[in-house]
Amino acid sequence: MNPKEEKMKIITEEFIENDEDADVGRQKKTSKVQRQKRKKQLLTAGPQEMVSEKAHLGSRQEPGQQDLDTDTRLLSMPTRRGPRSLPPIPSASRTGFAEFSMRERMREKLQAARSKAESALLQEVPTPRPRRLRSPSEKEVETEFGTEPSREIQRTQQEDDSQSYSRVKFRDSVRKSKSKPPVPPGFPSAEEAYNFFTFNFDPEPEESEEKTKAKNRDGAHQEEEEGEEEEPRVQEGVNKTDEEELDGKDAMDFLLGLDRGAEDTVAVRPADYESVHVRLQMEKELLFIPSRRTVPMYKKLPENAQPRFLEDEGLYIGARPEVPCTNQNIMENRLLTQDPGRGWFGDDGRILALPNPIKPFPSRPPVLTQEQDIKTELETLYKKAVKYVYSSQHMIGYGDPPGSFQLDIDISGLIFTHHPCFSREHVLAAKLAQLYDQYLARRQRNKAKFLTDKLHALRNAVQMSLNPAKTPKSLNTTRKAINEYKSEIRQTRKLRDTEQEKDRTLLKTIIKVWKEMKSLREFQRFTNTPLKLVLRKEKVDQKADEEAYEAEIQAEISELLEEHREEYDQRMDGYRSAHQQWKAWKKAQRAKKKRKKQAVEEHSNEEMEEPYPGEDPVKPVPPEPTDRAVIERQVRERAAQSRRRPGEPMLVPELSLAGSVTPNDQCPRVEVSRREDVKRRSVYLKVLFNDKEVSRTDSRPLGADFRVHFGQIFNLQIFNWPESLTLQVYETVGHSGTTLLAEVFLPVPETTIVTGRAPLEEIEFSSNQHVTLDHEGVGSGVPFSFEADGSNQLILMTSGKVSNSVSWATGENGIPLIPPLSQQNIGFRSALKRADAISSIGTSGLTDMKKLAKWAAESKLDPNDPNNAPLMQLILVATSGESYVPDFFRLEQLQQEFNFVSDEELNRSRRFRLLCLRSQEVPEFRNYKQIPVYDREIMEKVFQDYEKRLQDRNVIETKDHIDTHRATVAKYLQQVRESVINRFLIAKHHFLLADLIVEEEVPNISILGLRLFKLAEQKRPLRPRRKGRKKVTAQNLSDGDIKLLVNIIRAYDIPVRKPTASKFQQPSRSSRNFSEKHAASPTTHSPTHSADYPLGQVLVRPFVEVSFQRTICHTTTAEGPNPSWNEELELPFRAPNGDYSTTSLQSVKDDVFINIFDEVLYDVLEDDRERGSGIHTRIERHWLGCVKIPFSTIYFQAKIDGTFKIDIPPVLLGYSKERSVIVERGFDSVRSLSEGSYITLFITMEPQLVPGESVREKFDSQEDEKLLQATEKFQAECALKFPNRQCLTTVIDLSGKTVFITRYLKPLNPPQELLSAYPNNPQATAELVARYVSLIPFLPDTVSFAGLCDLWSTSDQFLDLLAGDEEEHAVLLCNYFLSLGKKAWLVMGNAIPEGPTAYVLTREQSHYLIWNPCSGHFYGQFDTFCPLKSVGCLIGPDNIWFNIQRYDSPLRINFDVTKPKLWKSFFSRSLPYPGLSSVQPEELVYQRTDKTAAAELQDRIEKILKEKIMDWRPRHLTRWNRYCTSTLRHFLPLLERSQGEDVEDNHRAELLKQLGDYRFSGFPLHMPYSELKPLIEAVYSTGVHNIDVPNVEFALAVYIHPYPKNVLSVWIYVASLIRNR
Amino acid sequence: MAEVHVIGQILGATGFSESSLFCKWGVHTGAAWKLLSGVREGQTQVDTPQVGDMAYWSHPIDLHFATKGLQGWPRLHLQVWSQDSFGRCQLAGYGFCHVPSSPGTHQLDCPTWRPLGSWREQLARAFVGGGPQLLHGDAIYSGADRYRLHTAAGGTVHLELGLLLRHFDRYGVEC
Repeated sequence: MNPKEEKMKIITEEFIENDEDADVGRQKKTSKVQRQKRKKQLLTAGPQEMVSEKAHLGSRQEPGQQDLDTDTRLLSMPTRRGPRSLPPIPSASRTGFAEFSMRERMREKLQAARSKAESALLQEVPTPRPRRLRSPSEKEVETEFGTEPSREIQRTQQEDDSQSYSRVKFRDSVRKSKSKPPVPPGFPSAEEAYNFFTFNFDPEPEESEEKTKAKNRDGAHQEEEEGEEEEPRVQEGVNKTDEEELDGKDAMDFLLGLDRGAEDTVAVRPADYESVHVRLQMEKELLFIPSRRTVPMYKKLPENAQPRFLEDEGLYIGARPEVPCTNQNIMENRLLTQDPGRGWFGDDGRILALPNPIKPFPSRPPVLTQEQDIKTELETLYKKAVKYVYSSQHMIGYGDPPGSFQLDIDISGLIFTHHPCFSREHVLAAKLAQLYDQYLARRQRNKAKFLTDKLHALRNAVQMSLNPAKTPKSLNTTRKAINEYKSEIRQTRKLRDTEQEKDRTLLKTIIKVWKEMKSLREFQRFTNTPLKLVLRKEKVDQKADEEAYEAEIQAEISELLEEHREEYDQRMDGYRSAHQQWKAWKKAQRAKKKRKKQAVEEHSNEEMEEPYPGEDPVKPVPPEPTDRAVIERQVRERAAQSRRRPGEPMLVPELSLAGSVTPNDQCPRVEVSRREDVKRRSVYLKVLFNDKEVSRTDSRPLGADFRVHFGQIFNLQIFNWPESLTLQVYETVGHSGTTLLAEVFLPVPETTIVTGRAPLEEIEFSSNQHVTLDHEGVGSGVPFSFEADGSNQLILMTSGKVSNSVSWATGENGIPLIPPLSQQNIGFRSALKRADAISSIGTSGLTDMKKLAKWAAESKLDPNDPNNAPLMQLILVATSGESYVPDFFRLEQLQQEFNFVSDEELNRSRRFRLLCLRSQEVPEFRNYKQIPVYDREIMEKVFQDYEKRLQDRNVIETKDHIDTHRATVAKYLQQVRESVINRFLIAKHHFLLADLIVEEEVPNISILGLRLFKLAEQKRPLRPRRKGRKKVTAQNLSDGDIKLLVNIIRAYDIPVRKPTASKFQQPSRSSRNFSEKHAASPTTHSPTHSADYPLGQVLVRPFVEVSFQRTICHTTTAEGPNPSWNEELELPFRAPNGDYSTTSLQSVKDDVFINIFDEVLYDVLEDDRERGSGIHTRIERHWLGCVKIPFSTIYFQAKIDGTFKIDIPPVLLGYSKERSVIVERGFDSVRSLSEGSYITLFITMEPQLVPGESVREKFDSQEDEKLLQATEKFQAECALKFPNRQCLTTVIDLSGKTVFITRYLKPLNPPQELLSAYPNNPQATAELVARYVSLIPFLPDTVSFAGLCDLWSTSDQFLDLLAGDEEEHAVLLCNYFLSLGKKAWLVMGNAIPEGPTAYVLTREQSHYLIWNPCSGHFYGQFDTFCPLKSVGCLIGPDNIWFNIQRYDSPLRINFDVTKPKLWKSFFSRSLPYPGLSSVQPEELVYQRTDKTAAAELQDRIEKILKEKIMDWRPRHLTRWNRYCTSTLRHFLPLLERSQGEDVEDNHRAELLKQLGDYRFSGFPLHMPYSELKPLIEAVYSTGVHNIDVPNVEFALAVYIHPYPKNVLSVWIYVASLIRNR
Repeated sequence: MAEVHVIGQILGATGFSESSLFCKWGVHTGAAWKLLSGVREGQTQVDTPQVGDMAYWSHPIDLHFATKGLQGWPRLHLQVWSQDSFGRCQLAGYGFCHVPSSPGTHQLDCPTWRPLGSWREQLARAFVGGGPQLLHGDAIYSGADRYRLHTAAGGTVHLELGLLLRHFDRYGVEC
């Protein structure tokens, strides 16, 4: 744009501004009329303009004004808005985007036009423009130019573009405003409107306009457009100036007050009018109105294309949004006229559309209806604020179950299919009934008929297809079909034959059983059952039947023949080819032979048989054709067997209960007694839910037909998901106890089964109990027979059926009370994905494919909808049943694709595995401290032990446990232990406040007072004061932190040496009788010190060696038989696996061995000559005895302080219990002397460990609630009075139930073998029994059950397990004593070293005896060496007595329980003994132990021990003296027989005789057999192997004496021999 | 085979109108995740703030996961409960937040909400305690049409979690 033009424009702008001002100022009033007139004009002209702006633009003169006006408006607008100096702002804010783009285009064109116009102007510049410039009132123009030159420049520089913009834009907006006749408010102001309306319209130029338009059309468009742009502007300028001039004149006139006539200025013209027709014409040319008619398909599709309907092709197409048809048509028509019209149409000729995005329901939540249609996942439940009840699981993620759920169990009745009280007839009747049921079921199915029909149909089909006229299909398929049919016929025939045969045999059996029954009834001359079988004959038409039969046979024969023929043909083919081969081979052979012959002739000496290549082909045999006769015979035979003969009447059995039962008075006595017995019996059922009894039915008498009707419904309110539902069938006979007949396991119902819909089901049960009856009843599990000779025996078990139904109850509002799925272990539930299907068919429907498919069909699920794809596939796969059915439902479908690694790899990682195992507290890894970061750093062997243990769980390993029984027991124990541990795992994490918070008590006034008082106390620095040791909880401990302190103080009566050569015989002690022991008479000791020991020579130099966990410490050597060491030994303690947790420490099985040795010095000088110059001695040590204290005892007792009896072997070669005169002082005689040596010890641990507490857990109990309350009360009372005395009323049995303690006591028979050993000596029998009990290995519960609790097993369990702690031993011993007729009690009290323990107290004629059940020893009541130190309570079979005497030492108390002042009894007059039944078995059954197995075990132990001894002596040669061994072996049984007493001297003499020239030291060890390890430990601890004399020889003999029930007494004789020189 | 170790604590809660708060928490993971060691769920003690309004629990969380995929990244569910002067407990808020996925220490604030219930229930809650609870806890984290549920805002639970990641780079996951 050139500056001139620009200038001009600005000028006009200014003019308008001024004019407007003037207008506003002056002409407001006067021109009103005018304005209105013009408005009218404009109104008429409006449409015209709207229709064709171009026309207006194209017109030369007349639209000039309009354009001028528009221009003025344009230019005036921005100026009015802002201050003048500012550049006009393009009114972009009002222009839309479309306008903008239009504008762009226009501008481009404008530019082009301008450049053109410029070039044109350059030539004709001087002519029009100056004129135009001058034409307005000059003054004003001048001022404008003068005042603002700078602005002009500015504008020229900056806004040439924006100028043109706004212009163009303005036109647009004008156009817009025109197209919308009502002008948008605020767009043009009143003044603008006025200006707009005040231009003149000339009606004349209409024609010219038309003309020009036409001309324009004809002419080149391009030019026309350019011109258009340029021209108006030119005119603008012109017109504007004209009008300005005019206006200016007007104003002048006005000012001057010259009143001119209206006629001067106003011309009256007719109103503009354009006829409707014309207008329509014009509109038609400009506007496009799409038609509403349907568009023909061919227009929408590309040439020669057929419409494709994707939906028909099976592709999924979503629902299209709904659009009215006319709208659609309009749209289509419109699109078609557009340029790329067809692109909008799809293959099906419809407009492309996405699936309807509109949700069918509004998403704004209706406020008020919130409660009605809330989704199940969002359901809330108002919960009352409740006190927090501790529950073991704090589930988050799942809300707590909303309340109780209900399970309805309907038990309608019970039918016995066999019962011990069944008579023979009943057995048959049951069988008959069963067969009849079977028959009915078969008849209902009628498979034979079905198969026959099928066969016929198939045959027909074959016939049809063989007929070519009727089958137009190709020959090939027909043949194939026929072949298929034929094979099917074959199959069907076979099936039919078997079915028919089955039917027939069933019928036959029914008849047979019925016959048997009839004969039985006749035989026994009475009937027991009302059963009656009637055989109804159905006549058949003989002839027709025969025909059918024959036809059937013929058909079969022909088929068979055909089959055979086919087979024959095949075989024939095979034969032919084989024959051909054979022939060829033959030929070759012949040729070969010929050649050979020549060869043979040539080299006659090389005669040899050329081996045939391979074997000779055998000449094939042609197959034989089948014979029709043979086949016919076969078929007929089979038919006769399996089918009804033709003409034979059809038999229909009918079973009825119409028969009569013989009344009692006509029956024999046995039968009457049977019936009586049946009457006495009644049955009830217990309902167990998750193994807990929840309810039981009434007890109903057993009917004569062995049916019991209950008809009871139990509504179980449950909280947990049912894991098991069990019914226990109990039978009561008369008034005696009930017996558990059987358990019936009911299936937990599906969640869809609710009450009212559940069918009655019959569930069978059977029991394995053995019952023999003394009447007609056949018993159960007992063989019986129907034959007179007792052959053909039958064993029937009690069995029956319970008819019941289990279902979920429905609540009041019809909602089934089913626990939510979250309680089931289904796992993660995605509520959304499956919501719809699940809600409509229930979860169980998901597994039921048919239901799912049905649902899919009913709900018209679109199979092609991608949302339904997995479901449809699942249904398809499941219903077609052919392809692979995945048995899983994948939840996270894309998981696999994005996995880093596979599952296997993840599981293979050793690090992860180790971490997991550690966190699961698997014993092997529980204390694994640091786990390596890399897999490669973890050795595979870490897991070996663990894996082995897992494998061995079910395999019984006999390597560690030499005999199998013990191995099984060990396994069983392990299992019990695991189950117990699992049961208490939760309880272990059950903390009290005191466990977590240690809070010192706030001192109250009394304590403060005492403290103050103490301050004033006199200071006594020398007085020792006891300080409590600090207890350490078993955390943060590591190896070496814990030490075992053993303080060995002194010992008494150590055996003394005896010269080997001594033939001295001690006075026999065999005269010792029983009374002596308790009387404690010291008379047996004669001070027999021999002359072999010169006075002053030491008799023995004992020292003590303590070994614990293979660490050994020993004291210094003291002298004499009563040494005093007073030494403290310190042994380190290592917990297994470095685990110092309480549970681990409790189960430490190690023992502390305290061995007493004699140190013997031997002169080893070879040469007498050196005696003067040197001393060469060798120290030997001889084992004298040991004390064994389990670590667990120390752990629980914290300290052990007392005098213990040393376990000295019965035979100690070279030593004798000598009472030396030197030590025999007054004190000793006062002290009651009993046999044996004693040692005083003090053992403790440093630091002191806090022993684990027993589990605080209430256990289930089947005891009466009252009784349990009474026990609690009793215990509380006792604890109040004597808190230190043990009071036991209830204990926990192996199944974890609380049992009243007296139930454990009941007379039980000891093994007969023991009783018959000393028939006349009750005391000896008692001792033997005690010994038997003591031979059962001891295993503390803390070890076996990880210290969780003290479990009591019954005596039979104890004998089966062959392991138990004091209680079990004591219970068994007490029961034996009770059965021996003694008065016996269980004593609960404290003993050393065991701590709280159980002993047995018996009452002899005048005194009481205390038995230690674990050692078998007994003590008089006043025996000072009795280990029992205090008595808490006594327990008898029917009562408990608590010791309320002042003292609790057995020495000082009175055992007379009848005195209520001394003993507080549990059952008294206020609470009488309710007659509790015992938990013990009726009697104990003992199996004889296999002697050969024992002998075998004996050999193996001996071998292993010998190997061990050799292992322990790696640097020395170990020689075995076989001669000595055999001597020892003979001696051991002798020891067993005499129980290790009184044989020493004979034995010694014998040994001397045989091994006179050896110095011999050795001893027999005796212990109960449990495992091999303790035996080895015991042998090791004696230190026999430590002798390193060069020419030492060893002897080792093992003897095992088997007692009943696999109780083994093991004797090990170890000896070392040194040849005397 | 990648490993994630989450070590941290539930610091406490602020903004609850109730005092005496405790928190039940649990960690849910996808199927690809395997808990090597640690406890998945727990419950804090009841804290009654004496000073200020923040209830401090400082409840430790120590979890060690192994994973074979990224799906189902661990997320924490929280339930804040309040105990009134009678020792009764009522729900104060449900909350849910993902365990962060970048290593390092993270301070998390988990806002909570609780179902509002009908006006009757609101009234009952105001006077006698208790309150509506979700029957199915899934709604806490599942995207079910939760708009139907009318809730009230609870306070915020503050967590401090430290993340240790291992071997993610081996599988092309940068973190």
